[in-house]
Amino acid sequence: MLEKKLIAKLEKIVGKGVVLTSKEDLTTYSYDGTTTWAHMPEVVVLPTTAEQVSQILKLADDSKVPVTPRGAGTNVSGGSIPIKGGIVLCTVKMNKILDINKTNLTATVEPGVVLQDFNMALAKQGLFYPPDPQSFLGCTVGGTIAENAGGPYCVKYGVTKQYVLGLEVVLANGYIMKLGGVTVKNRTGYELMMLFTGSEGTLGVITKITLRLIPMPLASKTMMAVFDDMAVGGQAVSNILASGVVPAKIEFVDNFVLRRIEEMMPMGLPVDAQALLLLMADGSPTAVEAETEQIVDTLKKSGAREVKVAKDAEEAAKYWKMRSAGFAATFGAAKTVLAEDVAVPRDKLAEFIGKLGEISERTGFFISNLGHAGDGNLHPAIFTDVSDKENFAKAQEAMEEIFEAALSLGGVLSGEHGIGLEKQRFLKRAMDPVALNLMIKIKSLLDPNHILNPGKIWEEERV
Amino acid sequence: MAQSYDRYEQIKRFEKDLSQCMKCGFCTFWCPIYQEEKIEASVARGKNMMIRGLLAGELDYTSEYADRLNKCTLCMACTVNCPAKANIPNVIVAARADTVKARGLKFPYNIVYRWLLPRRRLFGWVVRFASWFQGIFMPKTEGTIRHLSMFLSALGKGRNIPQIAPKFLRQMVPVINKPPAGVKTEMRVGYFSGCITDFVLPHLGKHIIDFLTKNGVEVVVPREQGCCGAPVFLGAGDFETGRKMADANVKAFEGLDYVVSDCATCASALKSYAKFLADTPQRKKAYDKFAKKVKDISEFLVDVLKLPASAYKPSAEAKGKKVTWHDPCHLSRHLGITSQPRQVIRSIPGVEYVEMPNADRCCGMAGAFSVNYYDLSKDIADKKAASIESTGADIVVSGCPGCEIQLIDCMVRNKLPVKVMHIMELVE
Repeated sequence: MLEKKLIAKLEKIVGKGVVLTSKEDLTTYSYDGTTTWAHMPEVVVLPTTAEQVSQILKLADDSKVPVTPRGAGTNVSGGSIPIKGGIVLCTVKMNKILDINKTNLTATVEPGVVLQDFNMALAKQGLFYPPDPQSFLGCTVGGTIAENAGGPYCVKYGVTKQYVLGLEVVLANGYIMKLGGVTVKNRTGYELMMLFTGSEGTLGVITKITLRLIPMPLASKTMMAVFDDMAVGGQAVSNILASGVVPAKIEFVDNFVLRRIEEMMPMGLPVDAQALLLLMADGSPTAVEAETEQIVDTLKKSGAREVKVAKDAEEAAKYWKMRSAGFAATFGAAKTVLAEDVAVPRDKLAEFIGKLGEISERTGFFISNLGHAGDGNLHPAIFTDVSDKENFAKAQEAMEEIFEAALSLGGVLSGEHGIGLEKQRFLKRAMDPVALNLMIKIKSLLDPNHILNPGKIWEEERV
Repeated sequence: MAQSYDRYEQIKRFEKDLSQCMKCGFCTFWCPIYQEEKIEASVARGKNMMIRGLLAGELDYTSEYADRLNKCTLCMACTVNCPAKANIPNVIVAARADTVKARGLKFPYNIVYRWLLPRRRLFGWVVRFASWFQGIFMPKTEGTIRHLSMFLSALGKGRNIPQIAPKFLRQMVPVINKPPAGVKTEMRVGYFSGCITDFVLPHLGKHIIDFLTKNGVEVVVPREQGCCGAPVFLGAGDFETGRKMADANVKAFEGLDYVVSDCATCASALKSYAKFLADTPQRKKAYDKFAKKVKDISEFLVDVLKLPASAYKPSAEAKGKKVTWHDPCHLSRHLGITSQPRQVIRSIPGVEYVEMPNADRCCGMAGAFSVNYYDLSKDIADKKAASIESTGADIVVSGCPGCEIQLIDCMVRNKLPVKVMHIMELVE
């Protein structure tokens, strides 16, 4: 238990009202978007300034109390769960957009700004920030930096780290450190910003972010392609990329997800299809026309049963809404869903999909599948029930086989969700041991008392 | 966490909604309360997880638990935008009911809900008695707006609301209202008069009855009808009293094909008797049958009566004015009625319709919610005020006297020269 004195000190720093201690409130900060993890914090604090964050961390460091930084808690890795209790430091009240600079094509925001609010503010000025994790309605910009989030747009535009120009980070000892700046090019020393981008709250608390923007593409077209064979769909993706076009998005939905979506929101999807690809071309109107033609042509040559081009924005929106429902379709399908996040080289997509089929047959677990096919990032999911120990253990074994398959093809453990708690068991196999050790050393250097989000990324006994 | 529904009869009925939430947190974007408070217990995901905590035996019926549960306007914005279509407001109402069953109602709600609201005439007397003190103890505010009488000001906390009417609707109109001479009777309907229309806005009720009779509808106003029960069973979770009120209303409108309401909250409450209050097959049948008869006034005019556009003539107040429409949550999301009121407004010649941004965002009223959390309610309303102001409209209309009271308070506080009216006040 935390000392009463500590709570009083926290209240002194941020004011009453924003220090939550009731069991009811603590319950609501014990989970994230995963189905298997939960742990109660001992206190939740919602600071509004970097100075307050600094004082909170100083206090926690002096008392050696764990601090789990979080935004909106929409992550799906277990990363924001206070697995060791202590303090949850929630940044959602630091939610000011400080600057949008149309000439410099940059924006500076506080970490608690909700991604969709940010997007809406940018759209008003004809600007665009591509990284689009599908939790954009809830997630905070700070959270997307800490998780180095991706999303459908990343096939063409890259992931979060490609947009971070400057950060203000509060270190475990309370020091408010400034990194980078507002320039696109910056070759001043090590790329320390990248340490914090994707650090999952283990190295510092991000309190200010400067991002690179691009002008909003003038036009876009959405296509849907139907396949009778999943692997053929996977091959089609590789073929498109090889043909010299990089679509803005290439998303993939399998038959299971497709049928679930159709159940949830009937829209006349071809429920007998084994795979659907959703694609988008964007840019100048003439480029979009030409790219669309080329993509449709490649899809047909690659064996698509049917290719549709959305006739207007409304139809396109319908397709993308369908894709974003895929997540709910998968997670609502069983008591516990182990949804993975592997990424494989894009030329190995068809091969990987074939391997998933083999694993499913061998283990007896049905594997549903959707994901960002364009960057080889798939979310195969296994349905189980965490309270059925035997079944759950077997499901985890099947999951391990999926990881092994991805790694053997030169892939990675996590494309965009991060390691958190969900994947730390597999980290050893997915990383060079020296690199893993270096990572832990960096952690110890920046956070000697290991107060920041302890118990995450790597398994504890390695420390 | 392991959950047991044994002691939670009502929550168990909505087990599917409770378990369907997969904690994605998308509801945070839509929840008017989360948008103000930014804490997890404000939003559907958090509330649902607290209820799961209760079922798992990790939480208990504490005042904190009750407070978090009560802090929801049941606006349903979370539900319609939920990728998993989890109806958490159902679970919240059920959890309120289980709380009341286990712990009872607190003063003064036990008096108001159990004793006063089910007795319409007595309630009328209390309101009347209180209205005598209106203006004596409370200073007058702008125009016809006054601080409400002692009785209601105890609930109203200084809110600007219209004064209690000198004569209640039931004292103004007979039970049977026939079309005037020369107009053929096309239909016979019951008129459900909510508490606010009856006591505060009787002229609105009278106006609607006149409009209907003029258009060939015989209007019956049964004296046995009472409060719809929304504050009692939806707001407070008192299902036992709710059932008494539901049974009384069902009986009062027996033999009538339609029950027309000018209040979105009343209409949706009347329609949700079956969902929440049906504890026997007989009640289920009776409530289901009753629900089918209930029609919101704009829905009735457009879908049932199918009035031609020529039937809508602008009232003196509306002529030449710019009008915007606020979607009451109980109308838009609870009942799915959005096009009908807009069609009515657009049919009125000489009235310019302008759509406000986020027209369907909750105004923050929600009955007892606005009393218990007046500051929060005001903050939510101020967002609505900004939407209304951005349209440059002269008049904001709604289909819910509850929303109207909130909007009046909100216009006065924000010093906006926008008149708040019921949609039916636009037509002559």
